[in-house]
Amino acid sequence: MRIVVLLKPVPDPGEERLGADGRLDRSVSPVINGNDEYVLEAALKLVEAGGGEITLLSMAPAGVTDPIRKALAMGATRAVLVSDPALAGACTWTTVQVLAAALRTLEFDLVVAGIDTSDGGGGVVAAGIATLLELPYLSNARRIEPFEGGVRVERLSPAGHDLLEASLPAIVSGTQLLGEPRYPSLRGIMGARSKEIAVRTLADIGLADRPVGGAHATTAMLDARPPASRGSTRVVRDLEPAAAAAAIVDFLVERRAL
Amino acid sequence: MGGIWVVGEVDASGALTKLSAEAATAARALGEAGHLDVTGLIVAAEPDRAAASLATFLPVVLAVRAPEAMDCPAAAVVAARVAALAGAAEQPPAWFVLGASPDGRDLAGVLSALLEIGVLVGATGLAWGDAADGVPAGPRVEMQPFGGRLLTTSGFTGDRGIILLRPNMVAAEPLAAPGRVEERSVEAVTDPPAVRVVERVAAEAAGPSIEEARVIVSGGRGVGGPEGFAGLRELAGLLGGAVGATRAAVDAGWIDYATQIGQTGKTVKPAIYLAFGVSGAIQHKVGMQTAETIVAVNRDPDAPIGEFADLFLIADLATVVPALIAALRARTG
Amino acid sequence: MTAAHALGRLTDDQRAIRDAVRTLARERVAPRAAEIDRTAEFPEDLRVLLAEQGILGLPFPERFGGLGADLLTVCLAIEALSAACATTGLILAVQELGSLPLLLAGTEEQLARFVPGLASGSDLIAFALTEADAGSDAAAVRTRAVRDGETYLLTGEKRFISQGSVASLVTVFAVTDPDADRYGRISAFVLETGSPGFSVTRLEHKMGIRGSPTAELAFDEVRVPAANRLGAEGDGFRLAMRTLDRSRPGIAAQAVGIAQGALDAAAAYAGQRRQFGKAIGEFQLVQGMLADMDARTEAARQLLYTACEEIERGAPDAGRWSALCKLVAGDAAMAVTTDAVQVLGGYGYLEDFPVERMMRDAKITQLYEGTQQIQRLVIARALLASER
Repeated sequence: MRIVVLLKPVPDPGEERLGADGRLDRSVSPVINGNDEYVLEAALKLVEAGGGEITLLSMAPAGVTDPIRKALAMGATRAVLVSDPALAGACTWTTVQVLAAALRTLEFDLVVAGIDTSDGGGGVVAAGIATLLELPYLSNARRIEPFEGGVRVERLSPAGHDLLEASLPAIVSGTQLLGEPRYPSLRGIMGARSKEIAVRTLADIGLADRPVGGAHATTAMLDARPPASRGSTRVVRDLEPAAAAAAIVDFLVERRAL
Repeated sequence: MGGIWVVGEVDASGALTKLSAEAATAARALGEAGHLDVTGLIVAAEPDRAAASLATFLPVVLAVRAPEAMDCPAAAVVAARVAALAGAAEQPPAWFVLGASPDGRDLAGVLSALLEIGVLVGATGLAWGDAADGVPAGPRVEMQPFGGRLLTTSGFTGDRGIILLRPNMVAAEPLAAPGRVEERSVEAVTDPPAVRVVERVAAEAAGPSIEEARVIVSGGRGVGGPEGFAGLRELAGLLGGAVGATRAAVDAGWIDYATQIGQTGKTVKPAIYLAFGVSGAIQHKVGMQTAETIVAVNRDPDAPIGEFADLFLIADLATVVPALIAALRARTG
Repeated sequence: MTAAHALGRLTDDQRAIRDAVRTLARERVAPRAAEIDRTAEFPEDLRVLLAEQGILGLPFPERFGGLGADLLTVCLAIEALSAACATTGLILAVQELGSLPLLLAGTEEQLARFVPGLASGSDLIAFALTEADAGSDAAAVRTRAVRDGETYLLTGEKRFISQGSVASLVTVFAVTDPDADRYGRISAFVLETGSPGFSVTRLEHKMGIRGSPTAELAFDEVRVPAANRLGAEGDGFRLAMRTLDRSRPGIAAQAVGIAQGALDAAAAYAGQRRQFGKAIGEFQLVQGMLADMDARTEAARQLLYTACEEIERGAPDAGRWSALCKLVAGDAAMAVTTDAVQVLGGYGYLEDFPVERMMRDAKITQLYEGTQQIQRLVIARALLASER
């Protein structure tokens, strides 16, 4: 199976900060978006079991390649990085259009993406791409398996899960339940150095004259400020269990929570 | 100018979700501030019950019967009908307010692509704003990115957009008198999605979901095993709350993924968050730090949760949990 | 790690491997370290992990399934592992030590027979030179190897053999010509531990590196094919010395890792622990200790890296470099871990914090693969020889 993994480099959660331009500083300790690692692991297992290859597709500033290298070291075959100065400050709708346009230049049977991203992206991109490309979209997967020319997905639902089927090509977004991602082996790390990261500009994917990118963002951040402080912590130690329980109850009563 | 549309979400039993009621309430306030009409939509195989519920929050609700929703994932079905309604409307909608549930996110993604408009995901508050900084008058959306370490206000650069509202940000308030439900019939703008629902499997549900719970009793690695969660469940039952967990506890197989709070789990904002044996690592913190009151019990005096809890007990949860259960039982008699 | 290391001298590959091993050490090894120490059980799960990740394959040629890494890269991996758990770092260090005689003197046939299993990590190999009465005086070994047709019969005992009870291969040094001088008495053999007559007679109870089994081995007329002899008869002592010239940096790397682990723990603690209304790290006496710990660790590290580069390029005084780096790193580890316990005060003396374990682990780096006194002897001899 030819699988494309949508892989988003994000700042290491907890390290995020805004740059001088008021935009997210994407150069800060970039890592693979957590949920993308799970779908990459699922893709690696699918290819190990049934053959095929994995292409990583990312949209990121040109210098942010460490997460892509790591994914190649984990076992992806190659990477395509859409990188263009015009994409700085891109909104979700631009991201959808760019990734869809890049996918049009690739051959694939299955596209997988993490259900959402830790830097604020909210899990709407894969659905938008599927719509533009008119592909079946199966979201919130906890299990992905091939099935007679199609794909079968267990989708988490509020009540439990739904069993979904679709023909290929299709787009699947997945969750942590797909399984713990592997560590790249040292052999994988050495091998990843010679794997290709093909950099594509907006012109390369046919979007040069389209209203996409930071200048055409559909949304704009108007203000950013630190949240109000939580106030100080009351620390209690060396209490007998009953006294500790009473301390909790008293505190909840004091906060009108009981 | 077009109005605001609230697309309600229908649960497996055909009822309107709590989050949709919250979205409707938030949209109503936005409509009042911006002098815009607010319309509700329910697209479902059997929309009547949810439409009636949504009409208790909004003056007008359009109910669309979509039989294919039985056999397909909701988002594509709903989006195709909503886009068709929007195209046919005398006053096309300018703003959509949806709940940021999994289905809501899917719906927003499809709708965004069909209508070619922007999305703001994870709103924690809504207001109306006048034109400023090159952004026209319209909704101002408060969000808490970076796991709540930042508060931002954003707007749309054009005159249309989709807003996804997080759960528990607004208390649902019904209208004084219910609005009216109008049945509508409209063809989908696209073919039904080529995704079949083969089977719907219900897991056993107990108590409120953690995203909607007012009280969450949460356990981490320090709980020590699945048996430790039994005590937390009992505690949650006494407090009318739900049980949550850290990724470590879920990874260890002690409790279901549905309870996981944090970066790759759920984001919650309960009134009370009781954390037992939870270290407070950043991956967990980002999912719960906006809780109103945080109480942590941990043996490790250096656990990071001690830095942002309101009450931090350095104690062994194995003895505190039974004592707390006894104390709460004594209170309620 | 809290300390920022200016490591412009490392190649991209070396940095990538170091970072990957560091991540693995932090996420998978560190959480096991206290338990490994407490139970004194060999961490078979971590051996499997090191094998799967290719870490045990680092020292071996690529044509036999290894990664063909240079000495510095191997040391970077040992250092990163040892910062979390000295026992785990030692698995790689001993794998390198045990296989060096094979890599240095093995024929292509011998390499093809033994290296693939070692490179994949499915086989571990131990290094058996030391005996009860042949420690620092390595040439005094008594284990005999008597030629019998196409085989040798090995008889004797070896002591203080790291991983001797978990290895499937052992490089054994035995006397083939009792009448020859110290440089010609001994030969080296690769022995398969399944061979009849081989037994593990005792496991030592140790102060540190408690998860690494230190075995006493007995050979009762163990039949070893002549094809398993490394180099010519009588080459054993020189081979052992050449091996130690290359392996001591591995112990220095273990020492630097232990020191860094202790420094990180102490710095983190000093930033959190509050006394007299402020973090103890704000007191200058504590700051001074932390600064000295960092300086000692970094100095040892830089000497280690230089030694690796000198040995790798074939410096004629390789023995001096390896002795220098082990001497400095071993002493640094002992001093830094002792100070780390001091920074943590009474808590540092408890098992609840890792620094007392690190202090116990550090001591061995001043003892094995030549005591610090032997290192000084090696260095002084090199100096005096060059003066001649």
